Amino acid sequence: MKDQWTDRLSGYLDGDLGVAERGALEAHLAGCPACEATLDELRRVVARAQALEDQPPATDLWPAIAEQIGVSSGAHRVVSLAAHRARRRVSLTVAQLAAAAAVLLLLGSGGAYLALHRSTQDNRPLARRQTGIEPVTGTIGWVQKTSASYDSAVAELQGALEQGRNSGRLDSATVRVLTQSLVTIDSAIVQARRALAADPGSAYLNQHLADTMRRKLELLRRANTLVPART
Amino acid sequence: MLLNVAAVITLVVTQQTDTTVPVRPGMRLDVDNFGGEIVVRAWNQNAVRVQATHSSRDRIDVGVGSSTVSVKAESRRGLAQMVEYQISAPTWMEMNLHGVSTDIEVDGAQAGVTAETVNGEVKVRGGSGQLSLKSVQGAVTLQNAKGHIDVYTVNEEVTLENVSGDVTAETVSGDISLGGIESASVEVSTVSGDVHYDGTIKDGGHYRFATHNGDVSVSVPERANVTVSVATFNGDFDSCFPVSVTNTSKHRFSFTIGSGSARAELETFNGDIKLCRPGQLHDKRHNDQEDH
Repeated sequence: MKDQWTDRLSGYLDGDLGVAERGALEAHLAGCPACEATLDELRRVVARAQALEDQPPATDLWPAIAEQIGVSSGAHRVVSLAAHRARRRVSLTVAQLAAAAAVLLLLGSGGAYLALHRSTQDNRPLARRQTGIEPVTGTIGWVQKTSASYDSAVAELQGALEQGRNSGRLDSATVRVLTQSLVTIDSAIVQARRALAADPGSAYLNQHLADTMRRKLELLRRANTLVPART
Repeated sequence: MLLNVAAVITLVVTQQTDTTVPVRPGMRLDVDNFGGEIVVRAWNQNAVRVQATHSSRDRIDVGVGSSTVSVKAESRRGLAQMVEYQISAPTWMEMNLHGVSTDIEVDGAQAGVTAETVNGEVKVRGGSGQLSLKSVQGAVTLQNAKGHIDVYTVNEEVTLENVSGDVTAETVSGDISLGGIESASVEVSTVSGDVHYDGTIKDGGHYRFATHNGDVSVSVPERANVTVSVATFNGDFDSCFPVSVTNTSKHRFSFTIGSGSARAELETFNGDIKLCRPGQLHDKRHNDQEDH
């Protein structure tokens, strides 16, 4: 459900509304369960995104992985996410906020990895570089616009795993388990995408898809860090 | 005849090592083992005893540094393969245990434990402080521990019993079962498996239980104050006690119990969500399993 107040909920959460408008919105919220529910969901996704951001960003993660699996990491610059994060401020519409929060969830653990793999000439704000998007206009947009970055990250990590297998660092049984697990996650991603395509406004589905995609990145990342360096 | 030959060969190629070194409080135990097992039993002596069964080609290296005791196998030819470690270490000693095709077991520790293996089970009884247990292909079990708990596996189940402190537990394909938990922060997720939680719901705490394919069952104590958010795409919600839904949106609804100061998120894409009182869940799960 969408009414005249829906698009102001983001501003309300950000504290951007004037006193009068804030009072009017709060009066409206008292009598509008739909807006109250939407606001509650927004608070939840934002809280979850913030919670993930608060986890220590592994800015030096990739060099360690690269060293373990024998992939060059020299071209990638480690950036200070904390410094950028301190300057960042995001103001979005309801749909944009939900989408951005979902993307942050998606990239919560992979963001540093992606940041490391972007060109050092990239001068866009980190929030955009991390998410790989310009401000989006719909909830489907973030899925489409982050797909390239996500696919690239997944492909590179899968390639690294493949190298691990070919070099004998990963035995075939472990590779089989990882492959099965990736299939399990991919299946979940497909289901979530289909559901989201049918109901693009669902904050739960956005969040769930983002979580599941993050799980895939996380699995690949963890699998690589678990590859032992036998000497 | 073949058995006799095998026994003779075994006698020839296996070797026992038994080494004890003194340690001081504050030192850490590091063990690295490619294959076999690492079993650590805590004891009340300021010493580390390493008993190892290994190939006669291998040599067990017990190194004592200023802050660590490191245990590893070195081979005279090629890489050390299978080593069975039985280690006794002080209860206060932090330990860092790594393996590849290795089962890891720790019993009685009262300090931090890091245990990581690729293909093998991890079982830890006891532990305090930072507890990080990880496997790719193996179940992970933690009992009677307290601290900051991070448990991860890929292809098996996770079981936590009688644990207190912040808990993060993840697997991809496997159930996650948490019982006797005392925590204000619990984050649990699996992609394909059930999630079961029986523990405290503390005021101001945050609890998240999520799966893609599987059921979520959570116990809520009688006097809990919690705002519960329930989300399922294909599934039902069932509660052993009456709840009054306050906020609803598509695929999600929420309700408040008591003052609602804690927050619990229960999510499954394909599966049911059940809420019961402590003790009821076990009965309900048992009955459900019998029905199947």
